[in-house]
Amino acid sequence: MNHSTHKNTKDSHSHRFFKLLRGEFGLFLILVVLLITFSLLSPFFFSSRNLLNITRQISITLIVAIGMTFVILTGEIDLSVGSLAALAGVTTAATLVATQSIFLAILAGLAMGMGVGFINGLLTVYGRVQSFIVTLAMLGVARGMALVWTGGRPISQLSESFSFFGAGYVGPIPASSLIAGIVFCVGLFFLNQTKHGVYIRSIGANREAARLSAIPVKKYRLIAFLVSGLLSGLGGILITSRLLSAQPTAGEGMELNVIAAVILGGASLSGGIGTVFGTLLGAMIIGVIDNGMNLIGVSAFFQQIVKGAIILIAVLIKRNNSQ
Amino acid sequence: MHPALVLKRISKRFGGVQALIDVDFTLEQGEVHALLGENGAGKSTLIKILTGVHQKDYGEMLLFNDPVTVTDPVDARFKGIAAIYQELSLVESLNVAQNIFLGHEPVKGFFHRVQKNVLLTKAREYLERFKIPIDPKTPVWDIGLGQKKIIEIMKALSIQAKILLLDEPTTGMSRAEIETLFQIIQDLKKKNVHMIYISHHLEEVFEICDRVTVLRDGKNAGTFPVQGLKMDTLVKSMIGTSLGEELPKKGDASTDSAVVLRMEKFRSQNMQKPVSFQLHRGEILGVTGIIGSGKSELGLALFGADPKIQGKVFVDAREVRFGSPLEAKKMGIGFIPEDRKGQGLFLGLSVDHNITVVALHQLERFGVLSLRKKKRMALSIAQSLKLNPLRIELPVHSLSGGNQQKIVLGKWFYRRPKILILDEPTRGVDVGAKREIYRLIRKWADQGVAVLLLSSEFKEVHEVCDRILVLYRGDLLKEIDPKRTTTEKIMSMALGEHV
Repeated sequence: MNHSTHKNTKDSHSHRFFKLLRGEFGLFLILVVLLITFSLLSPFFFSSRNLLNITRQISITLIVAIGMTFVILTGEIDLSVGSLAALAGVTTAATLVATQSIFLAILAGLAMGMGVGFINGLLTVYGRVQSFIVTLAMLGVARGMALVWTGGRPISQLSESFSFFGAGYVGPIPASSLIAGIVFCVGLFFLNQTKHGVYIRSIGANREAARLSAIPVKKYRLIAFLVSGLLSGLGGILITSRLLSAQPTAGEGMELNVIAAVILGGASLSGGIGTVFGTLLGAMIIGVIDNGMNLIGVSAFFQQIVKGAIILIAVLIKRNNSQ
Repeated sequence: MHPALVLKRISKRFGGVQALIDVDFTLEQGEVHALLGENGAGKSTLIKILTGVHQKDYGEMLLFNDPVTVTDPVDARFKGIAAIYQELSLVESLNVAQNIFLGHEPVKGFFHRVQKNVLLTKAREYLERFKIPIDPKTPVWDIGLGQKKIIEIMKALSIQAKILLLDEPTTGMSRAEIETLFQIIQDLKKKNVHMIYISHHLEEVFEICDRVTVLRDGKNAGTFPVQGLKMDTLVKSMIGTSLGEELPKKGDASTDSAVVLRMEKFRSQNMQKPVSFQLHRGEILGVTGIIGSGKSELGLALFGADPKIQGKVFVDAREVRFGSPLEAKKMGIGFIPEDRKGQGLFLGLSVDHNITVVALHQLERFGVLSLRKKKRMALSIAQSLKLNPLRIELPVHSLSGGNQQKIVLGKWFYRRPKILILDEPTRGVDVGAKREIYRLIRKWADQGVAVLLLSSEFKEVHEVCDRILVLYRGDLLKEIDPKRTTTEKIMSMALGEHV
């Protein structure tokens, strides 16, 4: 009896320690360790210019990952984000060429994103097909549409002023980082400070309980896909703006980075658990690893292994303490 | 001859709930032994200990006179104990033969190649032995529920099970299928398979069983031979003593107050028959019935959670239609579902999330939630529910069953519904928590809420409600005044003794 009591207290101590590590504090710690490590390894790393550069590099991943956070919170997945970004980018570029109106071009890109997101949601929620399958199919369809539309060639010769969003600066701050910051704040507000956020989280935690708590489950599941589509579209517009050219092959493999950021940020693929703040940390960790390894000259091939391993280890620690 | 199975002083505790206390039980060879008791009496716990799902806290188990410990379900099967649960464990996409021999297929050679012909022949033998006219190559999703149950029994026999536990085996079966099942049970008795039969249908017990053991509040309340047994004796032993403390009751005025809800020939897709009744302001109306009576279906339908509603519903004398829980909520209906973990709670989320989720609109201004107000509301509800520990940031799964149930109830607290539907609000909670829940319900009724209490605990219905309606196989029987009846009478009616 005595023995077991002793064991219990010890367990609860180590449990508390891991619990702290498991939350956002743990992610923050990882980020700090990475920042210190790269600062020691490269003299260029910890400069305001490079740090601002990192925020610019992660901005697009972060924007799309915030949309993905919505979808993952409801217990679904959206694999179509990368293709959708390319399609929205092409839409924006084509509209810009046709109308010479930046405003209309952006509107068209966002509308394309939302439209495809809506179809994803419709097929998942009302067609009752698993979102993995719906969005996997959409990954192919959207990419194909972008390729067919452009004949596989990029749409270039866009008006110079359009490059502001992806490549411009507001003072010292990259415009795309600023946009990502705004999206982050809106996402944070929406999920934490409105009933909509609470409902979306509830649906992922227990769909039946959500239904019996009088939450309009279908509507909110659809909204999650809409948000993801919209933000994928925004991501695609920023890529186009940065390159001043819409590549039908843009954003290939983007879904992996985005999902990795969300999962690294503490979200559970089964839904209900995850925060926008965690997603920010996840995206930052991935961004810092990419940037730091580039600076210290790690080969691009080797980088993939390191990144994969870090994601695995982080998730492993989290999973083994969440029981 | 040794008994097939002897249990001596088995006890089991879950957190604050003592599920089994010193239970003695003997299964003789070649008998069908019924295990009876109300919900929460400890039947499923006992079964789960036998099959190794739970471990007993103390006590002794003898299998054919050998002391044994069952460590897990695989071990139980290895020792010849097999259970047929209400939820089937068949693989729908495999065929009948594959299911019967799942996990111990006849194999040959280095690669353990399945000998399909042997498999089919053996399966055919089993099916013929029990005169089941199914082709062993039929995929399981193509056969009916009754036949699935029988396939499940074959599966147990194929591993040479000596002791078979049948948990409500006739649920959802047609009369013809039940006949076949009973034929098989008779057959098995001769082939030296010893059976424990759990059922709420007493007529089945009288028809097929040799002896009966009644569990009540986790104790053995008596073992009787079926021959010469009176229904009265059985019912009396199933119902325990009163809840002790007198529960606060409302005066006779209840039926004088306004009708809040009236239903005429109301029926949803999942209900067996249309029902008509009224619910008054400030009363607690009990609707009781055994498993399969349709009481949970009635609750879900009333909350708009069940499709295809027929008949008429009047709220405050105005005819209404609602097709979703959201519409029902707007009409002032609150609902507490039967299955706490599956339907009631967001287990991984915090107490304050769970407790405020239906009242969020009271916490927002211009669409913005006040987190401070939310915390304050959660805390005040938690306090009035006497939640222990009083920590609203904890995830709900870390709390005890009683506290979890209080949270499910409490989430409608601030909503102040006009009509509150409660389905088994005290399932799986200890006596103390039960009493608090009853007080809470009465308090709501006194504040003018019309409460519809759906429960299969007859004692609860008798002592808590102002009026009682009995459901039997989807039929709403006549109204009972709890002051002019006994719990035994209510139970007899619910068990079909009225006919």
